[in-house]
Amino acid sequence: MEYVSPEGLRLDGRRPKEVRQLKCELAVLHRADGSAYLEMGNTKVLATVYGPHEVSQRSQSLHDRALVHCEYSMATFSTGERRRRPKGDRRSVELSLVIRQSMEAAILTHLLPRTQIDIYVQVLQADGGTRAACINAATLALADAGVPMRDLVASCAAGYLNGTPLLDLNYVEDSAGGPDLTVALLPKAEKVTLLQMDSKLPLDTFEAVLGLAMDGCKAIAAHMRQALLEHTRKQAVVRGPVRL
Amino acid sequence: MPGLSAAELSFLEGGIAQDLRNDGRGREDFRSFSIQLDVISQASGSARVRLGATDILASIKAELGSPPAEFPHLGRLELAVEISPTAGPEFEGRGGEELSAELGKALERSFAGGANGTGAAVDLAALSVVEGKTCWVLYADVLVLNADGNILDASAIGIKAALSNTRIPKVEVLAGEGDEEGELELNDDPDECARVSTAAVPLIVTLTKVGRHYIADATGDEEAQMSSALSVAVNEKGQLCGVTKRGSAGIDPSVISDMLSVARRIGKRLLAKVDAEISLAESRLESET
Amino acid sequence: MLQPEGPAPSLDEAAAKLAEAQAILQSSTASLPLVCLGDAIDLGADAEGGVMKGHGTMMAGEAQLQATVCGLVERVNKLVSVRALKGRYTAQVGDVVVGRVTEVAQKRWKMDVNGKQDAALLLASVNLPGGVQRRRTNVDELNMRELYQENDLISAEVQQINQGDGAVALHTRSAKYGKLQGGQLVTVAPYLIKRLKQHFVALAAPLDVGIILGCNGYVWIGSKDLVDAGGRDEDEGMEAAGPSGQVDLQLRERMCRVANAVRALAALGLPVHPPAIVEVCNLSGLLRVEIKDMLGPEFLAQVAYREADRRQAEGDAQPMDH
Repeated sequence: MEYVSPEGLRLDGRRPKEVRQLKCELAVLHRADGSAYLEMGNTKVLATVYGPHEVSQRSQSLHDRALVHCEYSMATFSTGERRRRPKGDRRSVELSLVIRQSMEAAILTHLLPRTQIDIYVQVLQADGGTRAACINAATLALADAGVPMRDLVASCAAGYLNGTPLLDLNYVEDSAGGPDLTVALLPKAEKVTLLQMDSKLPLDTFEAVLGLAMDGCKAIAAHMRQALLEHTRKQAVVRGPVRL
Repeated sequence: MPGLSAAELSFLEGGIAQDLRNDGRGREDFRSFSIQLDVISQASGSARVRLGATDILASIKAELGSPPAEFPHLGRLELAVEISPTAGPEFEGRGGEELSAELGKALERSFAGGANGTGAAVDLAALSVVEGKTCWVLYADVLVLNADGNILDASAIGIKAALSNTRIPKVEVLAGEGDEEGELELNDDPDECARVSTAAVPLIVTLTKVGRHYIADATGDEEAQMSSALSVAVNEKGQLCGVTKRGSAGIDPSVISDMLSVARRIGKRLLAKVDAEISLAESRLESET
Repeated sequence: MLQPEGPAPSLDEAAAKLAEAQAILQSSTASLPLVCLGDAIDLGADAEGGVMKGHGTMMAGEAQLQATVCGLVERVNKLVSVRALKGRYTAQVGDVVVGRVTEVAQKRWKMDVNGKQDAALLLASVNLPGGVQRRRTNVDELNMRELYQENDLISAEVQQINQGDGAVALHTRSAKYGKLQGGQLVTVAPYLIKRLKQHFVALAAPLDVGIILGCNGYVWIGSKDLVDAGGRDEDEGMEAAGPSGQVDLQLRERMCRVANAVRALAALGLPVHPPAIVEVCNLSGLLRVEIKDMLGPEFLAQVAYREADRRQAEGDAQPMDH
């Protein structure tokens, strides 16, 4: 199967180093302290943040930092074939852990002792790159909630098909059986907080694919930054001046 | 959600008794709601409904499956409700399971019709492809994104809207060779797709009893105070399609027939509003494409 | 801008109008000191003299200050901080707050004040019935629930904030503070409540309603009695005056109108303070909008247009201190 045409076009018309179209919306659910809706192509994800708030189970309270809790859910209608997903299945548990660890690397938890931060990510439509989309949505939701972080966390996936490194695989490309590398990056510090790959890849190709994924993360971070600035600007303008 | 103080509850009940609820509504008033269609592009049909702060997504997925054993000439309509943890920490893990199950059952009661398919929300016979062998199964799933009361009524609106947006691919049964069964050929060209008639799809009006009165479209705070509730499904013809009593307190039988007629009256108004909103959403969708 | 008499517009038209009104409110050529999470903060002239890092900032390498939240940069003398707009309530000593009791513990009540942690109201910090100053006894400890129970709403003042972990202690050592009855609570984002001289406000006639603007975003709407200074009997102690139980319909209508005005302002992201609330109520009366319709897109659009006009009238020439 040809995933990259001789002219260098992928199945959806993108070039190998092109990320899918990104769409971000902030503060979409008002009961939550922070929320964000993110689209990466046809992958659609909603993230909400409750907190920082008082720890619900006293025994779990940490005296020197915040407790970060994360739950990942996938809607029954999110995949091509409708599937009833049991709560707490292995994949959900693993993804909840992955997202939590990625965000914990960025949240300045020591500034929020004895508190709890709940992050809920809900996949509405899955078309490849759900892991990355969830991390990006969680970052936006945390920023919307005013949770202090050392940097944005931007995530992107990359693969290798038909001898070409490809950025931001969609579902069809993902299912092709080639390697799938997901990276999460703290862009300012250029620190990688998540690195997962399946299938196999020779080392020098790996470096090329990793580099491509990191470039993708930086592009996504720039997009998120714009969305956050614009949203904050609107809030400030509407609220109007505050005489100190 | 935290509870309310005794003083707030007494104020709330007082308002209901005086026909002036905390947000200025009368006992029979619904909150204003908005509908968006085709929000999940991968689904056969979908809708988002916002009723006050209650926010739900309804998705219809049409997939080929086998008809019910006792009624091989029918298709199937399966309903389920799920509450997303995005609605709040109380719904994380298995927190929302009981409520989801209760609501799912209530929807089934109102939409699935009798065992032989009569009175169902959609024409089940029209979903049959090869009698006894293959039929369309419509999976109607509601995902609750934010809960501020009256999820059931909002879900019914969502399913009706999503069904109006649903496109079922055309299926052709190719002639088999000799004794062999014919293959199925799917044509999902949007212009060739079948639409689902929503004329018979009912809406649900839930009347929540607080104190000595009952109210329609309760908010989260009001719902938390309910002693009992009656959910009544009403269709275009004014017929009752399903009744579910919820809550632990008993309802005086003499009150029930009154509640049913009130629900019918409110249901009729609501149906007109919902139809209007769906048309608006459709024209908005057309102008976007 | 005012709605002419005629048939009500469809919900769709109303929604479009609201979007337009919001766009007008959101447009501004003023340059704001905005910064995104992760951005380096321009230290400017201060870079030489050294800066002190305040909230919302962190050191990132040599003499580099970085924002840890999205918000507005504030410089006060040498202190540079970034103030996020949305977010949980951050207490300041002296703030008037409205809190909800979450737990009755030993010698203290734990209160939800929409902060990062629950606040504490010590038994020693409340006025006991009888108004007499005396030592708290064991009996007092056991009778705590008779004063305040779980879920009770209480108005109080921030007494102190623990330097180490930011734990907040409240007190109700003044006749005006205490349990709230005979009204309703509206919750808004804390950043919409400005710190004013008076947070207990009696809205003048024809509204004739009392409101408490908690700095933590919890706004209580009740009768005027709770605001009247000195109208309190010594013996009443903690009980906030106000009809509990039956509320006169006229008063209830006025309270609902004010409550919806607060909700409308919050929905638009506009600051919630007494002049704005009165303005919205007057507008609803002028346009003959029913109380229940005050939260619909049509009226919200009108409120937004009105505010946009008012700002324009005030003039863009005025410097905006955010």
